[in-house]
Amino acid sequence: MEDKVNAYVTEDMENALKTAEDIDRRRSSGEQLGELAGIPVGIKDNISTKGLRTSCSSKMLENYVPPFNAFVVEKLKQAGVVITGKLNMDEFAMGSSTETSYFGVTRNPYDLDRIPGGSSGGSAAAVAAGEAVAAIGSDTGGSIRQPASYCGVVGLKPTYGAVSRFGLVAFASSLDQIGPITRTVEDAAMLQSAICGHDKMDATSVITEAKDYKAALTAGVKGVRIGIPKEYFGDGIDDNVKTAVMQAVKLLEQNGAVVKEISLPSTDYALSSYYIISSAEASSNLARYDGVKYGYRSENYDGLIDMYEKTRSEGFGDEVKRRIMLGTFVLSSGFYDAYYKKAKLLQRRISAEFSENFRDIDVIATPTVPSAAFKIGENFGDPVKMYATDICTVTINIAGLPAISVPCGYSVEGLPIGLQLIGDKFMEQKLLDTAYTYEKLVGGFRSPKL
Amino acid sequence: MNNGYEAVIGLETHAELSTDSKIYCDCKNAFGLEVNSQVCPICMGMPGTLPTLNEKVVDYAIMMGHALNCRINRVSKQDRKNYFYPDLPKAYQISQDDTPLCADGYVDIMVNGVERKIGVTRIHIEEDAGKLLHSDKFDGCSLVDLNRCGVPLIEIVSEPDLRSPEEAKVYLETLKSILQYLDICDCKMQEGSIRCDVNVSVHKIGEPFGTRTEMKNVNSFSAAVRGIEYEINRQISVLEAGGTISQETRRWDDVKGESVLMRSKEDAHDYRYFPEPDLRTIVVEQERIDDLKKRIPELPNRKILRYVKDWGVAQKDATFIAENIELAELFDSCMAKGRFSARAYTTWILGDLVKHLNETGKTVSQTKINADNLTDLVESIEKNVISNAGGKKVFAVLLNEDKKVSDLIEQLGLAQVSDTSELEKIADSVLAENEKSVNDYKNGKTNALGYLVGQCMKASKGKANPQMMKEIVLSKLG
Amino acid sequence: MNIDIRHIAKLSRLHISEENIPKFEKDMQDIVSMVEKLPDIDDDMILDESNAMTLREDKAVTGKYTREELMANAPQVKAGCLVVPKTVE
Repeated sequence: MEDKVNAYVTEDMENALKTAEDIDRRRSSGEQLGELAGIPVGIKDNISTKGLRTSCSSKMLENYVPPFNAFVVEKLKQAGVVITGKLNMDEFAMGSSTETSYFGVTRNPYDLDRIPGGSSGGSAAAVAAGEAVAAIGSDTGGSIRQPASYCGVVGLKPTYGAVSRFGLVAFASSLDQIGPITRTVEDAAMLQSAICGHDKMDATSVITEAKDYKAALTAGVKGVRIGIPKEYFGDGIDDNVKTAVMQAVKLLEQNGAVVKEISLPSTDYALSSYYIISSAEASSNLARYDGVKYGYRSENYDGLIDMYEKTRSEGFGDEVKRRIMLGTFVLSSGFYDAYYKKAKLLQRRISAEFSENFRDIDVIATPTVPSAAFKIGENFGDPVKMYATDICTVTINIAGLPAISVPCGYSVEGLPIGLQLIGDKFMEQKLLDTAYTYEKLVGGFRSPKL
Repeated sequence: MNNGYEAVIGLETHAELSTDSKIYCDCKNAFGLEVNSQVCPICMGMPGTLPTLNEKVVDYAIMMGHALNCRINRVSKQDRKNYFYPDLPKAYQISQDDTPLCADGYVDIMVNGVERKIGVTRIHIEEDAGKLLHSDKFDGCSLVDLNRCGVPLIEIVSEPDLRSPEEAKVYLETLKSILQYLDICDCKMQEGSIRCDVNVSVHKIGEPFGTRTEMKNVNSFSAAVRGIEYEINRQISVLEAGGTISQETRRWDDVKGESVLMRSKEDAHDYRYFPEPDLRTIVVEQERIDDLKKRIPELPNRKILRYVKDWGVAQKDATFIAENIELAELFDSCMAKGRFSARAYTTWILGDLVKHLNETGKTVSQTKINADNLTDLVESIEKNVISNAGGKKVFAVLLNEDKKVSDLIEQLGLAQVSDTSELEKIADSVLAENEKSVNDYKNGKTNALGYLVGQCMKASKGKANPQMMKEIVLSKLG
Repeated sequence: MNIDIRHIAKLSRLHISEENIPKFEKDMQDIVSMVEKLPDIDDDMILDESNAMTLREDKAVTGKYTREELMANAPQVKAGCLVVPKTVE
C-alpha cells in the first residue's frame, strides 16, 4: 500500500510495535486505559517528535531530529496512542498538493494519478488508504480540510488557540493550527478532545476547559441555523461540487435545519490577505534555517554570507523560496503599508463580517475546495492557479474560526467531494454535531478501491 | 566648543535586567558560565518552539519608566526585527517597534554644578543576542556561544539633548545609578550589562542640526566619552575641510581610539519589523502600574540635587554619596536626626569609612557603622569629650564591633582632660622644664607656643583638651 | 509593479542564479498582482486589549537538556560551540 501511496516520510514500526505491545500488556494486566490507547495514529512531519526525524518534507531538515515532543505528541502519548510515523506534506506546509515535498509526491488513494491535496496530503492519504486509523495534520490555509476533501475523509481545523502550537514547525504563526484527520466524525471528536487544551508554553493558546467532544456528540440538526454564503458558490466553483454541497445542505434542511442565504462580501479579498500575511510570517519564521544550529549546510561556500545564501538556496525548494521572497517583499521598507498593513486591516474586517453573521446563524456551509482532486503536475509550476484552490479555506484561518470538512459525495470521475462547515470561535461541538448528523444520514466513509 | 561648533548627542542605552530567568524561556539568566550551558530549544530557536514573556521583565521596564518620568503604555505589543547573524538563532530579535512600554520621559542630571533635563524618548523591552568568539586558532572560523541569547534587555533611548562628552558621561552614570537603586540591573560594565550606541552630529551654533552618524560597539562609559570626542573632532575636521557628513553607521575601536565605517546609508539594514505573531497583546493593569510606582525609592539624581541645594554638600561629594545606595541611606538617616551639620558627617563618610570600604572591599552593611553610633561619635567630638585623633580610634573599632561609643571612649581611655586645675598642673610643670622656649616666646618667637602646647599634650598622654590646654598655656605666658 | 528580485533575494539570504531570475521575477509579479487586489482602508492598527496574554512567572529551571542533546543537529561543533565562517574582517 505505502509503495503506491507514499504517505510516509518516516515510518516508525519498531517503536510503534513496542508501544502496541506495552499497551496490550497493560490492558491485559487489568489497567484501565482510555479509548485511544493502542490506536495507530500518524503525525504530519512538521510536528516535533522527540528522537524521531521531523523533516517538514524539506531537504533543509532532512536529518533533523528534535530533542523534544510537541505538546500534542505528549498528549497523544499520554493517551496511549501508537505513533506509526511521520507523514508526507508539502515542504514546510507550503502547497496544496504535496508535490513540493522533497521526498516525492503522495498519491490520492482514490486515483493514484491525482494529488491527495496538501499540505497535509500524506496525512489524508494515509487515513483514506488505511495506513493509519487517524492522523494529526496542520492547517494554515486549508491544509487539513482540503486534503481531507480530496481523499474522502474528515478533517477538523480547530479554532485558533484551541490546540497548542508548541512543537509545530511554524509556517505562519498567526494562522497555523493543528487538528485531526480521521475516517469518521466520531474519531475526529475523540482525537480533538485528546489534543486540545491550554498550554502555558504557547502564549497564543487559549485557556478553556477540557472537553469530551465525543461523549457530547449529538445526532440531530433540528433548529440548527445554517448560512449559505453566496460568495462561495460563484463561477470558480465546479458544478459537481456545487451540486453535491447543495444536496448535503438540502438533506440537513429536510432533517430540521433552518437554511438561509448570507453574504460575506470581503471573501474576495481573503486570498490576497492570506498570501500576504502567511508569506510575511513565513519569511521570518524560516529565516532561522541558516546552516548554523541544525539542518542542512552547503558543502562549499566562501564566507558567512555565501554560506547563508548557498545553504538556503540548496536546502529550500522553489515554492518555499517564492513564499519567502513574497513575504520579504511585503514587509520591506516602502511596501509594508500597502501590503502587510492593509492585509492585517482586512483580516479584521473579515473577522467582523463572520462575527456579525454568527449572531443569527450557527453554522456556515460551503464547499471545501472548488473542484475534486486534480492530476499530479496539472497545476505544478503555476503558483497563482495553485493558490486559487485555497479560495474556500483560507478565509477561515484569516478569521481564526473552526471548520470541518466531511465527505459529501463524488464527482463524475468518482473522486470525493467535501462539505465544509464553519462555526463561530470555540463552537467545535456544534460543527461536530452537524457533521455527525450528516454522516449518519449518508453512511460515512467509503474505502477507496486500491 | 571648537570653532563655534556645538555637538548634539543622543544615546541608546541597553541594560541587561537581573531577572532569574530569561525573557522568553525559563533558562537561567546568568553570566560567565560554561559556553552553551544556559540554553534550551527555545532560546536556541529550534523549529516549533515559542516564546513566553517573563512578567518581571515588564515590571522592571515599567519601574525604569517611572524612574525616568515616562508615560507607561498600559497596552503594548512586541515586534520582530529581522536580520541574519550567527549570534541571533531565530534570525529575528523580539523587540518593540512602535509601541514601547514607556515613552516621553526625562531625567535630571547635574553637570558641573548646573542642572540639566535630558529627554527620554522611550524605553522598550527586547532580547539579547549570543556571543561570537574569535581567535587566530579557529582556522578562519568564529565560534558561537548562545548563553546570552534571550537575556532580557531594556533599551533606553534619549532625545538628542546632550551637548558634550561630559554631559553624556554624567547621563550614563545617572542611568547606571538609577538602575542600581532600582536593583534591576547588575551594572557590571566588564560583563557588558550596560552598553550603548551613540548618535552624534555637529553644527555651528545658531544653525540647524547637522547630519548624524551612529556609532556602535561602545562598551563602557569611558569608551563612550572617547568615542564621542573622537566623532565630534572627526566631523568638525570633515566640515572644516569643506566636506559633508554622511548618515552612516560606524564601529568604535576603543583599543585604536578611532571609529571605522561599518555601513553607509545605502547599505542600511531593512529590518522588516512586524508584530510578533507568537505573542499576544501586553496589557498591564493600571493598579499594577501604580503599585510599581510606589516601589520607586528616592533616586540618586534627586538626592544629588537635594544634598547640593539643601545641605550645601559639594557636587562631587554629593554625587559620590548618592551613587552608593548604602552610603546615601547612612547619610540620609544621620541627617534625619537633625542634630549636626552635613559636613560633620561627610568628613567621616567620605574619609575613614570609604577608605575602609576600598581597602576591604566591604559594603556599608558589612560594617557595624550606622547612623546611631556615627552620630554619637560626632557628638563626642563636637562636645570635646574626645579629640579628633581619639575619634579615629573609636571609629576604627566601630567598623568591626558592635559597641557603644561612650563605652569605647572609656575602655580606650580617650576621654579628654578638661579639668582646669589638672591642666594648670601640667602647664606649670612643662613651662618650668622649658625655660628656653618660654623665653623665646617672650622675645617674640611666637612659634614657640606650638612647641609648648605640644609638650603639654604629650605630658597628658594626648588626653588634654587641646583648645583648653592652649588657652591655659597662653594665659600663663602672660 | 516591478519587483527588484535581486534585492529581495539578497534580503532573504537566497541565491537565485541568473538563469532563474526571469522565472522567479515572473512568478513574483503574478503573485503580487494577485495580492494587490486590496481595497483601500485608512484605519489604524489599534491594539486589541481583549487579546491580552498571561505572562510567565520569573523562575529559572535548569538541567532540562544537555548541551550534547541540543547540539546534536548542528552541522559543525567545536569546543562546545557552533562553528561559523569568520565574522570579523
